[in-house]
Amino acid sequence: MDACLGSPSRRLLILTLLAAATAVLADDPDAAALLLADKTATETAQGSNWRLFSEAAWSESTSRANAARLQVERLSLDVRYDKTFAADWRAVFADRLDARWEDRSSHETNVNTLKEAYLSWQARPDRIADLGRINARYGVASAYNPTDFFRAGAVRSVVSVDPASLRENRLGSVMVRAQTLWNEGALSALYSPKLADQPSDSAFSADLGASNGRDRWLVAGTQKLSDRFDPQWLLFGGAGQSPQLGLNLTALVNEATVAYVEWSVGRTPSLISQALLLPEDIAFRSRLATGFTYTAANKLSLTLEYQYNGAGLNQADWDALRRGPPINYGRYRALAANLQDPPTRRKVFLRGYWQDALVNHLDLTTDVFVNPVDSSRQFWTETRYHWTHVDAALQWQLNSGQPGSEYGASPERRLWQVLATYFF
Amino acid sequence: MKFQPLVACAALLALAGGAGAAPSAQAILSASDAIRNPDKPFGLTVTLVEYRNGKQSDSNTLGVYSKADSNSGQFRSLIRFVAPARDADKLMLKNGNDLWFYDPSSKASIRLSPQQRLLGQAANGDVVTVNLAKDYQAQLTAEEETQDGERETRRCYKLALAAVSPDVTYHHIEMWIDSANNRPVKARFYTESDRLLKTAYYRHYQAQLGVQRPTETVIIDGLDPNWVTVMRYTDYAWRDVPETWLQRDYLPRFKPE
Repeated sequence: MDACLGSPSRRLLILTLLAAATAVLADDPDAAALLLADKTATETAQGSNWRLFSEAAWSESTSRANAARLQVERLSLDVRYDKTFAADWRAVFADRLDARWEDRSSHETNVNTLKEAYLSWQARPDRIADLGRINARYGVASAYNPTDFFRAGAVRSVVSVDPASLRENRLGSVMVRAQTLWNEGALSALYSPKLADQPSDSAFSADLGASNGRDRWLVAGTQKLSDRFDPQWLLFGGAGQSPQLGLNLTALVNEATVAYVEWSVGRTPSLISQALLLPEDIAFRSRLATGFTYTAANKLSLTLEYQYNGAGLNQADWDALRRGPPINYGRYRALAANLQDPPTRRKVFLRGYWQDALVNHLDLTTDVFVNPVDSSRQFWTETRYHWTHVDAALQWQLNSGQPGSEYGASPERRLWQVLATYFF
Repeated sequence: MKFQPLVACAALLALAGGAGAAPSAQAILSASDAIRNPDKPFGLTVTLVEYRNGKQSDSNTLGVYSKADSNSGQFRSLIRFVAPARDADKLMLKNGNDLWFYDPSSKASIRLSPQQRLLGQAANGDVVTVNLAKDYQAQLTAEEETQDGERETRRCYKLALAAVSPDVTYHHIEMWIDSANNRPVKARFYTESDRLLKTAYYRHYQAQLGVQRPTETVIIDGLDPNWVTVMRYTDYAWRDVPETWLQRDYLPRFKPE
């Protein structure tokens, strides 16, 4: 080292020059930034037709009844393949496998969800046809989607109460779909036939009974009216039901706020008459989710959403059901959960999402569901840190309320979940 | 090719200054825009590498198809995330203030506010594919020597750009354009209160789609100079981008070649 640097006076000169250069760079951020840019590697990431991730989770829930603790370990594998071939053709396949072990037992429970498997043909740039199992999801609201007409019975395996997870981990329906596009507008039509009678609990079933239990059809049209306003209209129908009209509307209120309205209306029976096989009480009923998302300059987004289910129970009928036979209550809750409908008329959803909170790559999310009809609440929060290929997250959930209330009836009072996700 | 006469014309307008009258500042700006932005629909791959305090903190790769609006002149873009793996295949549409994000996993189409977009890396796209001459009134304030992104001294026009409408991202901009060839050299972007938002260096000029274009932009945050983003452009190609694709209903269908 000494030989390299030479005499003490030369060393002093070099150190002085180095210090001066550092000082210059520090004083000239442009020069320092350009130096950094010079060192940037030149390779470009290539796209892949595969998207694959694996998730390991450990959760502990506390029972509401006796404070007993239940531990569940879960291992999930999620794959999506999306390949364009022969110029105009595209093949999409998406599948998820969840394996669970309860209380360190050797007993393994597997649930496979065949989310999508379809072929797409783009006959012209503005004409596209699809055939196969497709997750045809509509809706602009954040938590409750009245126009997501194919949501009923679609979730086979609940891994989180996060609305995004419920949308993602679900079955598509087998259908044929066509879409035509024009400048600032589009029209889609789909038909989904009945293919099976009953849902299946079998681990690796395609579960056509859940996704294609009856004939259904849907027409959706969008026309942009301005940069801030582009409504989407939907008409949905099927065997054993009257057509339902749907509307999705978003509007840019200002530079930081997006407002939305999602609404469906049509002649339908009430949930209680469906659940308890009561005489049909078909009437015009509407479902609504409306709210806004505001984003602050510090990357904090706040969403407030009001939900209305015209087929759900009002306060008096909900109180009566809670006081009545448990079997009726159970049937009603099971039906509402299967339809992903709120059990009561009204509900409020609040979400806070803070990206890069406090430190870079740390995201905080908090969801609060409030049922004003029975004053019960669900609180879910997640702290997530992400590296290049790995996400680590800690989730906490609290269900509170009177016995028999929407969230007070949950068998779990509290739930912790730690999870790690590896993206291949 | 169509863009060549345009560039040549703009260059001629700029060069006309040498022969007689001073070049129009707006013409210089237009010529500079034409160097950054192809005049026909095109596709490219953008790699963004972000540094904080001298260390790489993030890296994203995006596949982008862009097309200028025949009325406003501004670019509309379909963007597909290529990397990191977590975000792969997510999509974004930017069509003026019509901003949509689509996740193929959850099938959720989410409308974004301009504020949400500005918080992400995509905001830096404004520094790159934006036709400044459409939104800004240029004034020639000086002709001076400045150091470019390669640390070479260039004789430049220094332009002061003032926004002509209030809904643009930057209230005013200082821009240095090489007086020999109208290449953008660097720019400083400001808020209304004259706060420096970012500095951009346009560098590594290479022949792309028939014109020498910058293949790298180095962006330095105005508030935190230790926050540096390097944007690299590769895989330039002419692409057919029908008008019918530039809407949210097409977004789930978009897959760049």
